[in-house]
Amino acid sequence: MREIVFHLLVVVCVLGGTLSMAGALIWLERRLLALWQDRYGPNRVGPFGLFQPVADAIKIFTKEDWIPPFADRAVFVAAPAVIVVTVLMSFAVVPFAPGVWVADLNVGLLFLFGMSSLGAYSLILAGWASNNKYSLIGGLRAAAQTISYEVFMGLSLMGVVMLAGSFSLRAIVEAQQGVWFCVTQFPALVVFLIAGLAETHRLPFDMPEAESELVAGFHSEYSGMKFGMFFVGEYLAITLLSALATVLFFGGWLGPVLPPLVWFVLKTGALICGIILLRASLPRLRFDQLMSLGWKILLPVALLNIVVTGAIALLGK
Amino acid sequence: MTQNASIVEDLRLRFPGTSFDPQSTRDDVPTVWVPSGKVRDVLRYLKNEVLRPYKMLFDLTAVDERCRADRPAQATGDFSVVYHLLSLDRNSDIRVKTSLDGDAPSLATITNLWPCADWYEREVWDMFGIGFEGHSNLRRILMPPTWEGHPLRKDHPARATEMGPFQLPDEKQAVEEEALRFRPEEWGMKRESENSDFMFLNLGPQHPGTHGVLRVVLQLDGERIVDAVADIGYHHRGAEKMGERQTWHTYIPYTDRIDYLGGVLNNMPYVLAIEKLAGIAVPDRAQVIRVMMCELFRIASHLVWFGTFAQDIGQMSPVFFAFNDRERILEIVQAFCGARMHPSWFRIGGVAQDLPNGWDRLVRGFLDYMPSRLAEYDKMVMQNAIVKARTVGIGDYTADEAIEWGVTGPGLRACGVEWDFRKKRPYSGYERFQFDIPTAQHGDCYDRSVVRVEEMRQSLRIVEQCLKNMPSGPYKSDHPLAMPPVKDRTMHDIETLITHFLGVTWGPVIPAGEAAVIAEASKGANAYYLISDGGTNSYRTRIRAPSFPHLQMLPKISRGFMTADILAILACIDFVLADVDR
Amino acid sequence: MTPEAWYILLYSAGVLSVAVGMVVVSFVLGQRHRERATDEPYESGIATTGSARLRFSARFYLVAMLFVIFDLEAVFIFSWAVALRELGWAGYAAALVFIGVLVAALVYEWRMGALDWGVAKRKNRSDAPSEETRK
Repeated sequence: MREIVFHLLVVVCVLGGTLSMAGALIWLERRLLALWQDRYGPNRVGPFGLFQPVADAIKIFTKEDWIPPFADRAVFVAAPAVIVVTVLMSFAVVPFAPGVWVADLNVGLLFLFGMSSLGAYSLILAGWASNNKYSLIGGLRAAAQTISYEVFMGLSLMGVVMLAGSFSLRAIVEAQQGVWFCVTQFPALVVFLIAGLAETHRLPFDMPEAESELVAGFHSEYSGMKFGMFFVGEYLAITLLSALATVLFFGGWLGPVLPPLVWFVLKTGALICGIILLRASLPRLRFDQLMSLGWKILLPVALLNIVVTGAIALLGK
Repeated sequence: MTQNASIVEDLRLRFPGTSFDPQSTRDDVPTVWVPSGKVRDVLRYLKNEVLRPYKMLFDLTAVDERCRADRPAQATGDFSVVYHLLSLDRNSDIRVKTSLDGDAPSLATITNLWPCADWYEREVWDMFGIGFEGHSNLRRILMPPTWEGHPLRKDHPARATEMGPFQLPDEKQAVEEEALRFRPEEWGMKRESENSDFMFLNLGPQHPGTHGVLRVVLQLDGERIVDAVADIGYHHRGAEKMGERQTWHTYIPYTDRIDYLGGVLNNMPYVLAIEKLAGIAVPDRAQVIRVMMCELFRIASHLVWFGTFAQDIGQMSPVFFAFNDRERILEIVQAFCGARMHPSWFRIGGVAQDLPNGWDRLVRGFLDYMPSRLAEYDKMVMQNAIVKARTVGIGDYTADEAIEWGVTGPGLRACGVEWDFRKKRPYSGYERFQFDIPTAQHGDCYDRSVVRVEEMRQSLRIVEQCLKNMPSGPYKSDHPLAMPPVKDRTMHDIETLITHFLGVTWGPVIPAGEAAVIAEASKGANAYYLISDGGTNSYRTRIRAPSFPHLQMLPKISRGFMTADILAILACIDFVLADVDR
Repeated sequence: MTPEAWYILLYSAGVLSVAVGMVVVSFVLGQRHRERATDEPYESGIATTGSARLRFSARFYLVAMLFVIFDLEAVFIFSWAVALRELGWAGYAAALVFIGVLVAALVYEWRMGALDWGVAKRKNRSDAPSEETRK
């Protein structure tokens, strides 16, 4: 009975925690960017502007819920919900600490790939349903970018799977007791992070929205909370990417002295800050350059990594 | 002068039986009047056949001569069309004029000689109603398509009070909006190819990447740019028309707002042209103050370019750094002038006030601060691999193409042409300063950026020399036409009192004549061609803005690239819409 | 059903209600207005030419085909990767052959130019409007 209550609590906390993380990230990103760009950032609402996300939420909930008459209405409404749902669902298999997870699936990694593939639909459908040219170009870019990088992301993780011998994320963390996979699987880490950034369409890979070219890309026609959901989805995706990198390559909850959950949060937080720093410093690639990078460099690297890792794993058996 | 005579001699030899009537102007640019039927042949000869040819069509404009009291004897018709050609080989210009009669005059087009004549001829048609036979698409360019009349004609109202009150009911707005809809057929474009539809995408006028109200209609095949049409005029404010209403002196603040990032760089050619008309010699100190201010504004303008350029290719932070640095320049400007972006600081015959006490400390502080920042930006932007991938080989043109299209400034120097008006035709004492002309070889977006970044360093050098060698003496000429007139002796004798009174109330009366002065602005060659009819305001103020021809080249340098590239190309042209539309 | 599945179901229900809640709450709270241009698509604030429903050139579907090829084959690699130790060197050899075929396909596509989305070099690119696109 106690176990069930504990687990129910975990389920609630994961849902609440990830959602509040999205809110906190809005504040964190704006403050960090401001810090690196010699300006203040939000500092008016509450101490250090901490209540800015609350003010934003109130504002965005009371904005007009506008559905363009020229759009494909059902798809238009569904698209932003898709990204929120798929990213939130992905957190179900993330092991935050021993026993602290919604579910430890033995196909956890495959579940993640599935969710991430579904998430790609969000952008594509939004771009298509908006019936706007900027959105269409953004949607097309998103389609090409996310489905391509889907492949590389999957392949990059096969080395990790070989070493851990399982698709379960818990098992992968436990397999890193000795040495973290970021050492033994360094090429995979690089491919994974690049592919992950491309999947979350963050700078330097934010071509689907590319505000200087496409105004707002796939979400040009979105406003109010439906725009907010893309926003939330993006921040959730950053958190997910960092959490996954932590689990897959940085030993998850493993670490000395501090409690496991603290280690997990610290590592994830550091990665999130790194992703924000990338946004502050890098320009945007062109769409075709991103595609070339993926197919001509990342794919061969991922394949080579699989071949080499397989041989090493078998030799060390 | 011998050169002037010789080119006219050449023309007479080549075209026997045609009259070439020279006109003397205050700026000593050889000016010949040619019968309208012969203009195209003469221009072709000057561009293609003459030894050391005039390869650049620097400007093409017109004058409504109908109200001109002191018109040159050769201007027999109602309108004159003026072609200003520039030869880089000779470092010399020639002005070819022709006279036209009637209410709907027309002339043969020269678009087949110079592609850049396209927009200029459209502008003349728009502003004066002068037709160009054979022009493929002679339509309005600066005014809305629904406009009636030709604004720069003397009989067109110049201020709102001369017209009925402006109203925009819904029906009229609908008509106006419909008139702006792009119709590919009018531009000779197909809507579809054999197996796909082209997308016609409006990039602007309300778009974050176009740096103002520019509209570019892209014909896209997927993401590839098949063709592009730049639609300008959304920022048109009738600056040239206003020049005919304002006094010589009160027009100075309008010039600041032409290239609104350039500040006093705009004042420079304007006051120089007036000083040439009036024969005013500017004291040394005023000249050096002018140079120093110009170079500070050149850096400020390039910093804005730098930040927005990085922003356009997706780099988020440099724009904040660049604007912070620009803020330091504006603080200096504020300390000197009290104003920031538009100081309107130059006056006819000098500058408005002497430098404040402690000015040297401010400038020194900036000179100490800036070089390390530039080094940092080099690492952050210019050496960034993604920036290079986005700009190297993008939007490139050759030196010949640049000259053909009337490109000046960094855009010309980026294709290896060492041409800077500060060096080639020094004004305001630039010959006394040591600085280099940065050049690059490939004429692509990256090289244009390299040139601008290096120009900032050279400008710092010039400012440093100004700081070290600031001459003492008056900051304004004591010439009676200098504005505002010197006040010292007004209370002692009646003559100076009256001169002062008239100068301040009516403005100076500038002797009749014509003069054009070209100055090197941050964007390229900025020229003011002023015609005085011997009054307190200009008869014709022609502003030859560098951004206008540069932007005209856009379709040529963007065909075949991707949609993302057009932002890099636009950023590296470095235009200001107010400078394009005037 | 295992308890794991129940937790996932519960979690999914929570996630769905969050998503639906966001849409519904903003629908209830949101303001309403209607003006001249409210219902027009945004295209830089100017009247549009043609709609966003276009026939696209076939080469834009190339990426989709590449994806189908490589993603399907990736699935086979997935199953081999997790069973690596059970299958041993024999499995490794088989996988090597499989990946070899994959690489051969990649090289072929590369050589065919299917992986080039970019712009042609200056000498191959024309900056004059091409005849096919003009009237």
